[in-house]
Amino acid sequence: MIATILIFPIIACFLLLFIKNKFFANLMVNLYAIVHFALSLLLVFNLAEAKSIPYFGIDNLNGLFLLVLSFIFLMVAIYNNGYVKNFGQLDKKINKYSLMVLIFVFSMTGAILAQNLGIAWIFIEATTLSSAYLIYFNKTKHSIEAAWKYVFICSIGIALAFVGIIFLNIGQGELNTLDFTQLYKYAKNFDPFWLKLSFVFMLFGFGTKMGLAPVHFWLPDAHSEAPSPISALLSATLLNSAFLIIIRVFKILNIMGVDEWAKTMLYIMGILSIFVTAVFVYHIKNYKRMLAYSSIENMGILALGTAIGGGAIYAVILHIIGHSLAKASFFLTSGNVLELFETKRIKSVKGLNIADSKTAWLWIVSFLGICAFPTSLLFISEFLIIKTMFLNKQYIICALFVILLTIILWGMGRVVISMSFGKLSDEKNALIKNTKKKLCWVMYLPQIIMLILVFVLGVYIPPFLNDIIKLTITGF
Amino acid sequence: MENGFIILFGLSMLYLAATSRFIAHIRLLIVQGVLLFLICACHFTGHNLLNIAFLTIETLVVKSIIIPIFLYKVLKKTKANRDVAANIPHFYCLVIASLILLAGFLIPNYFNDASTMKMISPFYFGVSLATIIISLWLITIKHKIISNVIEFIVMENGIFLLSLSVAKEMPVLVNMGVLLDVFIAIYILGLFVNEINKEFNDLEVSHLSDLKDYEE
Repeated sequence: MIATILIFPIIACFLLLFIKNKFFANLMVNLYAIVHFALSLLLVFNLAEAKSIPYFGIDNLNGLFLLVLSFIFLMVAIYNNGYVKNFGQLDKKINKYSLMVLIFVFSMTGAILAQNLGIAWIFIEATTLSSAYLIYFNKTKHSIEAAWKYVFICSIGIALAFVGIIFLNIGQGELNTLDFTQLYKYAKNFDPFWLKLSFVFMLFGFGTKMGLAPVHFWLPDAHSEAPSPISALLSATLLNSAFLIIIRVFKILNIMGVDEWAKTMLYIMGILSIFVTAVFVYHIKNYKRMLAYSSIENMGILALGTAIGGGAIYAVILHIIGHSLAKASFFLTSGNVLELFETKRIKSVKGLNIADSKTAWLWIVSFLGICAFPTSLLFISEFLIIKTMFLNKQYIICALFVILLTIILWGMGRVVISMSFGKLSDEKNALIKNTKKKLCWVMYLPQIIMLILVFVLGVYIPPFLNDIIKLTITGF
Repeated sequence: MENGFIILFGLSMLYLAATSRFIAHIRLLIVQGVLLFLICACHFTGHNLLNIAFLTIETLVVKSIIIPIFLYKVLKKTKANRDVAANIPHFYCLVIASLILLAGFLIPNYFNDASTMKMISPFYFGVSLATIIISLWLITIKHKIISNVIEFIVMENGIFLLSLSVAKEMPVLVNMGVLLDVFIAIYILGLFVNEINKEFNDLEVSHLSDLKDYEE
């Protein structure tokens, strides 16, 4: 089962190398999305016996991450069908694009399923290399700048994470393993000094991929320059996979009982991420960059929730689900806006509701979802985090958290409202008459599904999902 | 013998800090690759010969043949010659790099009595940390993107040395993965160097600053 989920894309990639047909390329992406989703469901719900293969496996923690990845990928693949039509008649272009999407999703799946820190590291590095081409896909001056920064910063970050792995290896003493179950088993015998040192390096290294401030610089550039389906994948799934590795390493320190140190680091990076977003969203000029900053904010919330611990862990898991769904929907809708107006400047987009009312509504509802408007799932998670902070008597952090979130809400709300309403100029009207033909129904459907899920899950979490969430808490 | 190679490796960092011509840097990469191969060959004795042979030869081939040849081609294509306008004059670069290297030689000795230092050879450890720090620092002060790529490779060399400093071997699979990743990363970065050169007609880092949050 696990082998199939990993081998399928490799075979598909080989086929794509020889069959350069745009229909076939698109079919492969869709097929992989369906296979991925079906297999993930079977794996996570234990419906079929999961034969574990060396280095990969499913445990309490990664099941939920896998499920989120495969669902978002399925939605993005549906949207993608409409998106690739606008590339024109270029078989080669669609072929390369699909090939890279397959490798990208394959490497994220590998990173999530890996039961060995070294293997997880290799797959996280592979995500950087495969998504670099996708960010550079539009081949403009800006996209090359974004891709360069992305590859360079992330490669250095990942290299530092490897230094962390070496330190972890030193701290183990006589033991020589990077297997997570072994690491947890013998964690009590490790040397605290080396372990703390290794956590710093790994937090900064994988934190670079996760987009935590102060090592987030690649994120706004890469997310805003990538094609919109890729931005959705980057934001809703890639950041999660890096977060998973950080949690796994954090657990080693937790077992050893030296997690105070790690928690302090997570507090600082979490608050800093939210602060950076609040500062930059205030005067933002580019709506895709705004969404990218919002991702940094949400990653900050995840780090903060992990640091608080206790009841906040449940909130963190809800937040992962909610953020992935709402942000993917937001990014896909931003793709629609970009197709309509052909610009990313906020000032040049006005009267979205006149141009295309469906996109405008999706835009507004996605915003409500991401800014934790009740009954969004994010409302529940942020509420729980605040509640836990109150119970722990962390009033100052709580106040800071609420104030910064309010500033972000104001900054984003202003942009979304100014874009959605207002008058459409004649010049834009003429443009939109042409560009509106590019949008087809598959470019609305995924967002609708994801937004319904976000708002329904805020009120009612079905028992089977609740079971998985409970299982995931035990993995933390 | 091994220590001699490590000292040579450390000294090569000073050469990197003091020169500005790219061709000299690429030659330096070849030298470092060969040194790492020799250190590797001296370091591993005994267990699992086949794996070790594979790893050492892979080191030699990737680090001192494939990557330098590829970079040389990039250099020829982009007609870049030297990185003249570093933020700090070369003399001071040399002084600072020497100080970092000196610290690298000295600091591990202070930890010598700690029980966990048993697991590492202090000499390797100090030099490799100094290498990583010097190359990270050089990345921040150089102006051409191609020198950034070269310093990135040097940093990876430092990390490779660090992984050798652990008294037990890292799992071979991991090491091979690392080598492969580095190779692909360099390949992609090299391709981007070409693209940037075509698009911007120059390789200055300062030109890559169009993406920002404010408008002029």
